[in-house]
Formats: sequence, C-alpha cells, structure tokens
Amino acid sequence: MIAITFHFLTAADFWIGVGVLAATYGIFALGLQLNVGTTGITNFGQAGFMAVGAYTMGILVAKQGWSWWWAMPAAIAASMLAAVIVGLPSLRLRADYFAITTLAFAEIVRYLADNERDLTEGSQGLLGYNSDWFKLSLRLGDWLNGHGVHVTSFLFPLLLVSWGVLLVLTLLVALVVRTPWGRVLRAIREDEDAARALGKNTLAYKLQSLALAAALAAIAGFVLALNLTLLVPDEFDPVFTIFGFVIVILGGLGSYVGVILGSVILMTVLEGTRYVELPLSSDKVAAIRFIIVGLVLILLMAFRPQGILGSKQEMLLGE
Amino acid sequence: MSAISPETTHDENLGAERVPTALLVVVGAMVAAAVVLAITQGAQELAQATINGLVSGSYFALGAAGLTLVYGVLKLVNFAHGEFLTFGAYMAIFAQSAFGFPLALALPFAFVTTAALALGLEAVMWRPMRRKGAGVLQLLLMALGLAFVLRNVIQLVAGTEVRKLSANVTSSVTFGGLHIGRTELWVVIVAFAALIALALMLGHTRLGTHIRALSDNAELAETTGLDTGRIIVYTWILAGGLAGLAGVVYGASIGVITPNLGFGIVLSIFAAAIIGGIGDAYGALAGGMLIGLVQEWSTLVFPVNLKVAVGFGAMILVLVLRPQGIFGRARTAGR
Amino acid sequence: MSDAILEVDGVEKRYGGVRAIDGASLAVERGSITALIGPNGAGKSTLFDVVSGFERADGGAIKLDGRSIYRLPAYAIARRGLVRTFQMTKTLNVMSVLDNMLLASPDHPGERLSTWIVRPWAGRRRERDARARALHLLEAFELAAHARAYAGTLSGGQRKLLELARALMLAPRLVLLDEPLAGVNPTLGRRLLEHIEELRRDEGTTLLFVEHDMEVVMNHSDHVIVMAQGRVIAEGSADEVRRNETVVEAYLGKVVVA
Repeated sequence: MIAITFHFLTAADFWIGVGVLAATYGIFALGLQLNVGTTGITNFGQAGFMAVGAYTMGILVAKQGWSWWWAMPAAIAASMLAAVIVGLPSLRLRADYFAITTLAFAEIVRYLADNERDLTEGSQGLLGYNSDWFKLSLRLGDWLNGHGVHVTSFLFPLLLVSWGVLLVLTLLVALVVRTPWGRVLRAIREDEDAARALGKNTLAYKLQSLALAAALAAIAGFVLALNLTLLVPDEFDPVFTIFGFVIVILGGLGSYVGVILGSVILMTVLEGTRYVELPLSSDKVAAIRFIIVGLVLILLMAFRPQGILGSKQEMLLGE
Repeated sequence: MSAISPETTHDENLGAERVPTALLVVVGAMVAAAVVLAITQGAQELAQATINGLVSGSYFALGAAGLTLVYGVLKLVNFAHGEFLTFGAYMAIFAQSAFGFPLALALPFAFVTTAALALGLEAVMWRPMRRKGAGVLQLLLMALGLAFVLRNVIQLVAGTEVRKLSANVTSSVTFGGLHIGRTELWVVIVAFAALIALALMLGHTRLGTHIRALSDNAELAETTGLDTGRIIVYTWILAGGLAGLAGVVYGASIGVITPNLGFGIVLSIFAAAIIGGIGDAYGALAGGMLIGLVQEWSTLVFPVNLKVAVGFGAMILVLVLRPQGIFGRARTAGR
Repeated sequence: MSDAILEVDGVEKRYGGVRAIDGASLAVERGSITALIGPNGAGKSTLFDVVSGFERADGGAIKLDGRSIYRLPAYAIARRGLVRTFQMTKTLNVMSVLDNMLLASPDHPGERLSTWIVRPWAGRRRERDARARALHLLEAFELAAHARAYAGTLSGGQRKLLELARALMLAPRLVLLDEPLAGVNPTLGRRLLEHIEELRRDEGTTLLFVEHDMEVVMNHSDHVIVMAQGRVIAEGSADEVRRNETVVEAYLGKVVVA
C-alpha cells in the first residue's frame, strides 16, 4: 500500500528547504549551462569545482581564521585556478575524453577531501565556518521581523540571500552571453573550426568558460555549505553533476531562465518524493527517487532534448 | 618513392607484426620506474606490488576490453559499462544463492545474463537513438542517465547491504616470500583465459576480422557489404559478457559487493581503455595491465588511498601526450 | 621576379604511413587569381589545411608576405591575413546571417570579457561599426534581406556566398577557397565569380582556389598550379597547363580537358 501524504505541500519549512536547494543547484547549473548549452564543452566535473570552492572557504575560515568575507573571493579564485589547470591540457581533447577527464578530476578532489583528514576532516565533517553568516542571518531575520515579515524558519534568510544571488547571477550570465564575447562561445559550440578560421583563439575562450563555470560552482558550494553547516566529501558526489545536467536539459539547453525553472521543478520532485511512504527501507526509496531522475534524463534526451524552454528549430538546425 | 593516394589510408599493418614505438617507450619507462622503485623501496616490496598490479590489471583489462569493443564498433562512450560489472557480480551471487551454483558455473551464468542485458539495452535504447541520428551530447547524457538508473535499480532490488561471493578468500599461495591469494590467482587465470580467447577470436575468426574492420573504418567496411547489424549484436554480447565476467572476478577479488561496485572502478577501466587506445582490443589488455601496475606501484610511494587518483593522473598524462593512446592511430586523412 | 604573397617550400604531411603531401613547393603571386587543380587524392585540400593551420605540417616552410606561418595555430594565421573557406560550408546555421558576419569582425574589443567590465562603451561602439560594415558587405552579396534569418535557412549557394562575405570582414590579403562552386547553381556561381574578380580588382586581394570545373579554371584564373600524388607537377597559364603532357597523364581517364 502506498500512502502519500500531501500535507507537506503546505508546510512552509518544506518550501523553504526546496527553495534553498533550488537556488544552490540553480547557481551550480548556471555554470553547466554556460559550458554545455552555450560553449559546447561537456564539463562532467562541476561537482569537483563546487567542492574546491566550498572546502577552500571552509578551511580558510575554520582552520586559518580568515574572515568569511575574504575567504569567499579566495575560494572562488581557487576554483577558477583549478579550472585552468584542468582545462589547459584537456580542452584540446574530444568531447568524450574531456568529459572523462573532468569526471576524473572531480573524483580526485573527492578522494583528497576524504583522505586528507588533517585538512578537511574527511567524512567526520568540517565545521565552524559559518559564524559570520549566522550573525548576518540573525540580523537579517530581526530586520524582517521588524518590518512585519514573520520569520519562522532559521533558513529563511538563507533562502532570500541565495535566491537574490541566483537571480543576479542569472541576469549577469544571460547578459554576458549576449555580448560579442558570448557570440564567440556560441560559435565554438556550433563549429569550433569556423571560429578558428575567423581568427578566434578558441582554447582561450573555452578556458574562460570553464573558469566562470567553476566560479559559479564555488558560489553554489558556499550556499550548500551554509545550508548544511557541515562539509562532508559525499556531498560532492558526481550524482550532483547529473542533477545539474537534468536541470539544464529540462529547462532547455541554452536558456538561463530555464535553469531557474528546471532547478525548481527538479528539487520539488526530489524533495517531494521523500514524503511518499512506501513499504520499503529508506535506501530503497532513495534508489527509486534516483531512478526517476535518471529516467527523466534519458527520456528528455530521447524525446525532448530541447527541454521546456529550448527551441526545437535551433535544435534541428544545429544537427 | 611514390605517394599513395590518401584515399587508401587503411593502414596495412593490422596484425601482430606491428609493435608501436609508443608501446616500446611505455615499456621502457615502466622498466626504468621498476628499477628505481626496486632500489628505493626494496625488491621484495616491488615484486609483491607487481603481483597485486597484475591481479588488478587483469580485471581492469577484462572490463576495458568490452568498453573498447563497443567504442570501436559504435563510437559510443558507454558510461554505463561499470554497471554491467555490477550486474554480473550480482547475477553470480544470485546463481549461487538461488541455484546453489559453484563459482565455476556462476561465471558463465553472469556472462550470459549480462550479455542479455546489453542486448536488451541495444534494442530498446541505442538502436532507436542511432536511427534518430542522435548527437554525441545526447548519447553521452543518455549513457550517464542509464548508468544512474541501472545502479539504482540494482540497489532497489538487492539493497545496499554488502554481499559476498562464496569463494575462498583467506588461503593464499606463497612462493619466494611473495603471496597471492588463491582467489586472486584464480582471478588472474580466468581473466587471462578470457582475454586470450578474445584476442584469438579477434585475430583469427571471421567475426573478429569484421569487428576490427568496422572499428577501423566504418564507412569503408560498410561498402564491402558487411552486415553491420549482426556485428553490432555480437559486439554487445561480447562487451556485456566480458563485463559480467569482470564484475564477478573483481567482486571475488575484493570480497565486498555493493551496488557501487562497477562505478567504483569504471574510471580506472576508462583510463585503461584510453591509455591502450580506445577501440583497440589489444590496447585494452596493455592499458589494463599498465593501470594496474601503476596503481599498485604507487602504493610504495604514496598513501594507499590515493592509488586510484594516481591511475587517473596517468590517464590524463597519456591523454595530453598522446591522445590516441598506445595502440591508437592518429587521425587519418578524410580526402 | 614576381612578388609572391604565399610561398610554400618542400612541405610534407604524413598520415600514418601515407604521405598526403610529399614535398610540395609553389608560390602564389600577389593580386592574382590562382587555381589549384589536380586529380582526386592529389593532396589539394590537405595542402589548404596545412597552409591555413588546420593540420600540422611534418616538414618544409610556409611564408605569408615573407613571414613564416609554418605550424602557427589556425587562428593566428587568420589574423595575419590568410582566410579560408571550407569544402563543406561552415556557416553557423543556428545563428543569424548578420551574427555570422559580426562574428568575423577582427580585433573586436567586445570579444574580450574585460572590456565589458572596464570600458563597455568601446565594445558597443565597435559593434555598431561592425554592424554597418557587415550590412554593407551583405548588400554587395545580395544577402541583406536575409540578415535576421537563421543562416541554416539559406540555400546551399547562398551559404557559400555568406561564407565568402564573412571571410571578407577580416579584410584578408589572401583568400583560400576550397571548391567554392561545388553544389552551387550556375546563377549564384556566376555571382560568386564576379565577386571574386571584383575583390581582386578593387581591393587587390589575392585568391587561391581549388576547383574541378575546368571551364571555370580556364576562364577565370591567371595562373594554374597542378598537383598530383602530393606534389606540384606543373604550373603556368591555363593554356600552358592544358597542353602539358605530365598534366594530361595525371588526369588520364579522369577529366576531359576540352
């Protein structure tokens, strides 16, 4: 017997939780969209860049005593540096080899996070980086309360801030893609040789695209870190890159607004299905949820590769 | 000294007479590394690590062989290949618990069932997508999604608790101060037997020649009237079957079987296939052994937990220096 | 001594055991319209690929305007003034005709990310200029009406014209055209040839093209270079080449030279 309680749909806490996750993976997927949807490079290592960003921030604050406000730009820089190091040798390779290399990179990061316990606390978890945020969050909560918004959940300020960041970043990325710089990226996606024949140093552009995606992944990592208050290597499993791709495809390859739509839908489905009560053990239920995600990706690629907001004509012309 | 028209770029040296200089360079580098390690870490330690490397190399090679066959014939990078290994291991467990098969019978059972799975996926997913003219990105993402689905279906059906194949994991064979577990010895024997059978099949049967022709130059092969549909079917049977075997052999070797079994080594298998030259079955053998040895030798110098990362590092290095791998050919002229 | 804009000296290109180019040497005179002909498999397109940087040569020397471009990356060669088109037309079909043209605009500050942070007006200004130049060129090629359409909706011949117009945005000194008339209907083909002659006349651009259509070669080129089996076997005026016995032999049975 399957019992589905819909009570959760009205609980504010549920939506706030979904909202923070949607913002996290939305920012994460913005980077993937820039890479795959606009530049045409198959970055399977986005979770690795997210890990570099989150752990660098966490380690600098918790272990080196840095101020959170300085640690964040430093962590973003670290992620971007990682992107350049990974990209320089591998962006010249074919799409499938590049995908494997970036996946291997993400796994190496995870291994290091798991094994360099002195640095990262491994699977015990890294704590203690969020006191600055905590204070800020309380101040924000008080301000809202003072203006008539009744804040019930501890996560509410994070929801507001993360969505603010998501919206600003989406706007910025969508704008920058419309510039002549973005035009070169789009040309690379369709036909890199044509761009080269017109005098464009395509390797440099691909590196920039990867580095920006890494920066976005780092920011997503900050939101994740603040949400969880604890960093463990398992949070950067390659499955999250798959989530990112589902979001990108669902929303429509090339559409940045679609990323927001896709992440809200996916996170609602993923979190909502936690509430389906099945006579099965929890890891089996988790398996079912992941099977659904995987099937969605397969079916989308098979039957509607342009996603919700993508253009079918563009899809066909590009073949 | 006349130049041959680029139209006939088919490299005549397809057989065993061709020993690529790249292979000699790699072997030379390995020997040099071995000497250095023997001196700095001890010959005994090196020898033991080499034995361990050959054991893991044999299941990497077995896993890489199937992957590379599919790539060669279909130009498909099958990210779900690791899940074939997992499936094979679980099928062996099933055969043992449900039918009481001894391990020797569970092996062919795993081969057959995994081959069937591979064929089923070809019929339901890959062939329809090829007919639709699906692009590289589409196929890559579908393979990724498929890997995810397969792994979680296995988890759904079998649960996450650790299982074991009933195999003798404790006793070992010792010689000259070195030991190899009985199971691991068996692993190497089974893997090598399968790989030798594969090599013989590829080199001396008509099917093998067809597979190699198709991998080499699909367009040319089709014009000579090859029944590509049939060859594709046989390729999936081989790829799935070998992967199933690899899964059983790997599971028996590490003793711990979970739904993440295949995913845990799939990147090493990719590394092996790529290093060897993806699409070339002999390359899978060389690449598998290489990755196995590199990983185990690295434990003499680096922490054990990082050995897989070192394997990836080797793959990245090869990709940068020689993207076509040891046995691969540089891109040929199209006109 | 005539003035060579492109000098190729003993260039070699091997694929595995096969020598696609086996010591090819030629010189293209500045301001000329030169045809590169030869039987299938002679290495003509491979030579184009090597000269334009899309393939790495295995030996020899290549100079553009006296400066070596040997083994330079393709984008650098394009920036030096050598632009090529492709046998399989490489227009960007998912972008508009105008965007195809704007993409080709050289040294565009707007194509650097830093411009948009530090001095966005420079990017916007150049974009306006590029747009004006692009529309001007599109008009010359009679494609202006399609400026906003996806390039993929144009006919094959129109796309060849677009590819040429696009190449001209770079104000190249030497244009390499790889079978510019293949698959193009005669009317558009004539247009293309007219544009080529105008280019040479008005801008002094040098053109080197690979062609199989002998009528075009005979009537529209100043100079003909013949390749076979990876080497240059003859060159001269169209008439000289057509009477050359070595050339006839190379083509034996393949093409009837009228």
